[in-house]
Amino acid sequence: MGTTRKHATKRRGERFARGVLMGPFFALFVVVFLIPVGTALWLSFFAEDRPGLGFGPDRTVFVGLRSYFAVLSDPTFLSSLGTVVSYCLLYIPLMVVGALALALLLDSGVVRLRAWAQLGLFMPHAVPGIIAAIIWLYLYTPGLSPVVDLLGKANITVDFLGVHTVLPAIVNISLWSNLGYNMVIFYAALQAVPREVIEASVVDGAGPMRTALSVKAPLVRSAIVTVAMFTLIWALQLFTEPVLLSQSTPMISARFSPSMYIFDAAFTRNNYGLAAAASVILLICTIALSYGITRWSNRTDRRQEIAR
Amino acid sequence: MPGRLTRRSLLLTASLALPLAACAQAGGTASRSGPTKITFWSALRGSKQVVDAFNRTQNKIQVVFQQIPSGDQGGYAKLSNAARAGNAPDVATIEYPQVPGFAIDGVARDLSSMVSDRLRAKLLPQALGLTTFDSRIFTVPLDVEPMVMHYRKDLFDQYGLTVPRTWDEFETLARTLKSKAPNRRLYVFPTDGAQQVAAYAWQAGAQWFGTKGGAWNVSLADAPTRRIAAYWQRLIDERLVFTNAGTGRQFDAQVSQGLVLVRLTGAWDAGAQMKAHTTQKGRWRVAPLPQWDLAHPALGTQGGSTFAVTKNSTHPEAAMEFIEWQVSDPAALRARLTSGASSQYPAVPGLLEVGRAAFNRSYYGGQDIYRLFDDEAHKIRDGWIWGPRMSATQRVMQDGLARAGAGQETVIDAVRAAQSGTMPDLRALGLSTTEYST
Repeated sequence: MGTTRKHATKRRGERFARGVLMGPFFALFVVVFLIPVGTALWLSFFAEDRPGLGFGPDRTVFVGLRSYFAVLSDPTFLSSLGTVVSYCLLYIPLMVVGALALALLLDSGVVRLRAWAQLGLFMPHAVPGIIAAIIWLYLYTPGLSPVVDLLGKANITVDFLGVHTVLPAIVNISLWSNLGYNMVIFYAALQAVPREVIEASVVDGAGPMRTALSVKAPLVRSAIVTVAMFTLIWALQLFTEPVLLSQSTPMISARFSPSMYIFDAAFTRNNYGLAAAASVILLICTIALSYGITRWSNRTDRRQEIAR
Repeated sequence: MPGRLTRRSLLLTASLALPLAACAQAGGTASRSGPTKITFWSALRGSKQVVDAFNRTQNKIQVVFQQIPSGDQGGYAKLSNAARAGNAPDVATIEYPQVPGFAIDGVARDLSSMVSDRLRAKLLPQALGLTTFDSRIFTVPLDVEPMVMHYRKDLFDQYGLTVPRTWDEFETLARTLKSKAPNRRLYVFPTDGAQQVAAYAWQAGAQWFGTKGGAWNVSLADAPTRRIAAYWQRLIDERLVFTNAGTGRQFDAQVSQGLVLVRLTGAWDAGAQMKAHTTQKGRWRVAPLPQWDLAHPALGTQGGSTFAVTKNSTHPEAAMEFIEWQVSDPAALRARLTSGASSQYPAVPGLLEVGRAAFNRSYYGGQDIYRLFDDEAHKIRDGWIWGPRMSATQRVMQDGLARAGAGQETVIDAVRAAQSGTMPDLRALGLSTTEYST
């Protein structure tokens, strides 16, 4: 009897502790995620319609998938998706490979003043995205930019904000901002690699290159997947940099990226149904891609274990 | 886009700092004996002076004025959001292309029963036609701006050029000038100029939007539009015109250095030019826009504003009284003109003499430009209808025009892109739509 009661009290205590610890998360999850998503879903399925020419009185009606069909038949939305796909294809490999290479360099001990190098690389991440975009806008704008001036003196004319250069210009800003951060993640993962494994590889005659690529890199695979996934999620929401650069180049339209499309739909076109449907589509794409990456990486993990 | 701003020099940039008049909607709380309070938002230069004059002349209605940013600088978003939140001002300023959008969103009230016959008779019919949809009047026009040709008389004389009367002559002239002065061009094709493209198309007989049969018929790339697109494409391809933005620093520099010899803009731009380029006094003149067919002259407009009473107004009658005074009373126009030179063409042609008398002609070498505006205003082709989401349509078109300017696409591609980028919007709004001649 006594023990069961003690057990019951203990269990209740545990449940209480669990509630206290998880409560804040769920409260925030509901307020800043579920409610907004629910609102977006509602806005995308119901509308205040004025049929015909639209000058009559309005009434709230269920419109089914109308907003979704409208978004998916909008060439400007599809081209914004195209833009963000090219952005991801350019940005994510550069980011992952670049950050990993830097982390491996730092870890190999080749770099002197490691702490300073780390700090220097990490610093840009402390700069808010909007400030970063302004700094780079200054460096890209002909007539203002010392870089463009200098290149001009060497008889090289570069238009960083031209038709074909504007996307790489944005990738450059994102790389500058986030490379250091992801490098720190990789570096931390590399610290966890057992030293004896590395020593064993050295004993087996592997040079520093071989050690880095064949031993260290595979051991931080899960960190690579995590970084790739977070980078992807951020990349899909591309907004700040192109919005700021758009003030200086007509090559960035008001519907350049999906997030800009959503902003434009809501605040220029005052078309909340369209904006909500586009947001839901973007959310679904993000969730599907994240899920896909996780599944894929789990499966390859398992396959490797079996192979072993 | 400072060029456009100069006109609507609205942009007392400081406007953002003005606190939202705490008394918005305060009308209800005014004591019974006191004046009715209404609020008024505008980005137009001289609005403050007009409001002060109105408040002085009578004591029934007191207008509280707030200067807001111009439409494309956030003024329209501000108005939409305020209406959504239920605290839009009693009276708002809306440019012609945006009138149907605000009418469809229910921001602008149906004024049909409130516009007096007296006011209706005073307004230029073409102007009122632009704010009437489905036989209902949604806003009251303040000014209507026929597109005219501003030109450098001194440089025309220097190169022995004559003022072109037709578009063919315009093209020949552009070619002649390029051969005589290789670094100058007759004009630019403005890559931010969806309004210009609309005015060219309007003049040529295009009908981008129609409302027959209770549905929005959209045909941006109709035959007249294809014609003007091909015309300007030829000028672009043969480098007879510059291709850059028609507002902003680069264009200002081209004007001040005399690199462009004409500007094709609304009548209002004559006053804006005087303020922006004081040193060019005496060098400019104004001529009618070239025509396609001199026997059947037609014109489109560029610019112009209207006033709406919003759905949130608790005193629509007082609001309407203020609007009527503002657009038709000589004292209102005089007050507006005290804020600086303006060459707006009033939508109430009866006010023409007020503007004409106040206008200092010396900048234009004594030319009676108001007489010319009056002739031109009557050529405005009736029946043009702006679309339900014009800001967005224009932006998509300008994205395309920018690419056309960079040699990536053509003018007609930009027009087609504007149509295909507009249709999903209209469908998502639940409007009935049809498309022609895409």
